[in-house]
Amino acid sequence: MRITPRTRRATLAALGALTVGAMLAACGSGTPGESADGGGGEDGVTTVQFWHRSFTPVENEWYADIVKKFNASQDEIKVVDTEVPADAWDQKMKAAQAAGKAPDLYTSSANLYDLVNAGQVHELDSIVPKEALDEILDTATSISAIDGTYYAYPLLLEPQTVLFWNTDMLDAAGVDSSAAPETWDDLLAACAKIQPTLADGQYCISPAQDAVTMAWSTVGQQYNFAGHLALTDDWTAPDIDNDGYRDLMAQYKELWDKGYMPKQPLSAYVGGEDFGQQKVAFKVSGSWMMSEIGSDYADLLAKTGVGAFPSSSDADGRTATTMGNFTWVVDAKSKAPEAAGKFLSWAIAGDPENLVPFFVDTQFTKVPVRQAVQDAVAESEEAANAPWSSIIVDDIAPDAIPGSTYPWDVNLAVGTAMESVMKGSASADDAIKTASAAIQTVIERDGLPEKAPKN
Amino acid sequence: MATQAVQERRAIRQRKNRYRYRDNKTAYWFLLPLVVLLGIFVIWPAIYAGFLSFQDWSFYKDPEFVGLRNYQSVLKDPLFLATIGRGFLFVLMTVPVMLVLAFLFGSLVVSVSRRAASFLKVSIYVPTIISAVIASIIFVLIYNYSGGLLNAFLGVFGIDPIAWIGDPKWALLAIAVPAIWLGMGLTSLIMVAAMVDIPAEYYEAAAMEGANWWQKTAYITIPQMKNVVLYLLITGFVAAIQQFELPLVMTQGGPLDSTTLPNLFIFNHFRNDVNVGYSIAAALLLFVVLGTISALVFKFVNSERLVD
Repeated sequence: MRITPRTRRATLAALGALTVGAMLAACGSGTPGESADGGGGEDGVTTVQFWHRSFTPVENEWYADIVKKFNASQDEIKVVDTEVPADAWDQKMKAAQAAGKAPDLYTSSANLYDLVNAGQVHELDSIVPKEALDEILDTATSISAIDGTYYAYPLLLEPQTVLFWNTDMLDAAGVDSSAAPETWDDLLAACAKIQPTLADGQYCISPAQDAVTMAWSTVGQQYNFAGHLALTDDWTAPDIDNDGYRDLMAQYKELWDKGYMPKQPLSAYVGGEDFGQQKVAFKVSGSWMMSEIGSDYADLLAKTGVGAFPSSSDADGRTATTMGNFTWVVDAKSKAPEAAGKFLSWAIAGDPENLVPFFVDTQFTKVPVRQAVQDAVAESEEAANAPWSSIIVDDIAPDAIPGSTYPWDVNLAVGTAMESVMKGSASADDAIKTASAAIQTVIERDGLPEKAPKN
Repeated sequence: MATQAVQERRAIRQRKNRYRYRDNKTAYWFLLPLVVLLGIFVIWPAIYAGFLSFQDWSFYKDPEFVGLRNYQSVLKDPLFLATIGRGFLFVLMTVPVMLVLAFLFGSLVVSVSRRAASFLKVSIYVPTIISAVIASIIFVLIYNYSGGLLNAFLGVFGIDPIAWIGDPKWALLAIAVPAIWLGMGLTSLIMVAAMVDIPAEYYEAAAMEGANWWQKTAYITIPQMKNVVLYLLITGFVAAIQQFELPLVMTQGGPLDSTTLPNLFIFNHFRNDVNVGYSIAAALLLFVVLGTISALVFKFVNSERLVD
């Protein structure tokens, strides 16, 4: 073929068009294995996309297994299970929502008020049988329903602030290892005894120590010390300029100043490596840490003590922990809400036996939200060999309060104040003043007085 | 006669124009893929982001117009202003150090044998191909409070462990070190390329006049590298103030926000806020800051065509 200017131009044009076409095609397709429409599929089978976070191996196995069992039990709905790493969850979900490709059904621990106000979740009353919704215990209704309408079906409740201790290390220091220190004074006294017995690189306690973790994990302690949370009941003003909050900050400062805690976290609050590696005598974490000890440091299980987190000496019996939760919610834009509701009802709102392995394998560190499931779990053989199971379900959970329902930025302002005081970056007065100003900004920015709970 | 001359001139002009513009159509075709991609991924999103920054939008409800409220919230937020200031501090901690080290490295490379130069160039470039996330994890292990390499090393000299990424005093510096380490490779190679390009005659002439290393550097090397330094200054500045992975993986912005750089701040808001208007407004304001600074740098340090 003779190459003329015309053929050259035509070739270039074709190449250009091909390049652009290929690039556009690359942007068009979604994630492999993810249908854009979510709804109907071939042969009348409805596909339901289900996302859950990656947790401990036993939990991940339970999720994979329950999906497999459901898919095998019928042939109308096909659930596609996606395990998302916990630290990538927020951005992956946000990106999917922005693209209109959020999964039909997913696990959530977010503030239900935020989800409902933003219109992100589908109500459950029309897609989950009424008797299944009625089974949810009163302790879990605040995380599943708003004004009588259900939006989330809880899988579990779990105390977010629990004290763990290494009985060997406490015994070696002559500290009673049979029960948790009741008050902060007891805890500080225990640390005073333990500290001289520790080797280099070992510490008395590993609590929450950064603003973000303190923001969510100390809400129960704020209630324990002050008798209320960071906003007034009508959400018109901050309520942290008082002795309760000052006293709580002072306790953390003492742990810091006396070197009872490391100056840099040895592991994340939610993880148990520092405790597992016996670098700390006490560890503060959520009840879930016990299942990590069980799976990763099985030798330590027998010498791990579990108890309620120490109280303020003026607490009047108030709890020091909030109840965290994981619920299942159906996306408001789901094209197959009925099918998602059917899977949800079958998996966590139906036969209690479906849930027993979950609570047993997670070492009884989580509390079921249905009486039938609680009874079935308590009757299991393994429960008899796990003395701590009753501590979490019977001693800690019943008094625990639900988390705060105001916006995250309010919690973060308090967490930042606590970290600044603890590390000596600011006096309690200055930190509280800064936090109050930050909270006031959020109140005005988000129009909180109108959003305050009406009860 | 006259008309014939006019026609001739016109014909000549047309021939010239045809010659001058004959590649235009081809050039447009070459530009097309880039323009289309820029249009899809930069220009349209930027316009749409500008539109959304005046709205409250949560992906689920229709956007609600709120005027300038998002911008007001961002500008009134002391955390945002602090984060921009911290971004500049981070630039000061990383870019000058990186330029000086890269310059010294480049000077070393051009003065050693070819084989040694190849070895040096490969070694300095290795960190560049390591992902920032992997580098972050490595440095977190180095900075580990109990059992980390750095504290173990200091322990040999009887120094108490230091909370490198747990103490607000140290944390930003602790992040600047891997940032410099990661950025050194490319900066150094560009410096080396610029140095190799300087004609050897200048140095020979200077040597004949009895100039020492300092004089050669100050009067030949640095002036000859002005454009490259300007380029590295701008790109280094923009990359440093937009640093994101290192604080995200190493410190999550803590302790006490001491490592929350602008992009991480915006990212955290995007991740946590129900409405996206605030994060978009903050991102656009950061864009304004970056654009202004880049323009100022260009204004004060003009790039010039080098005289050979």
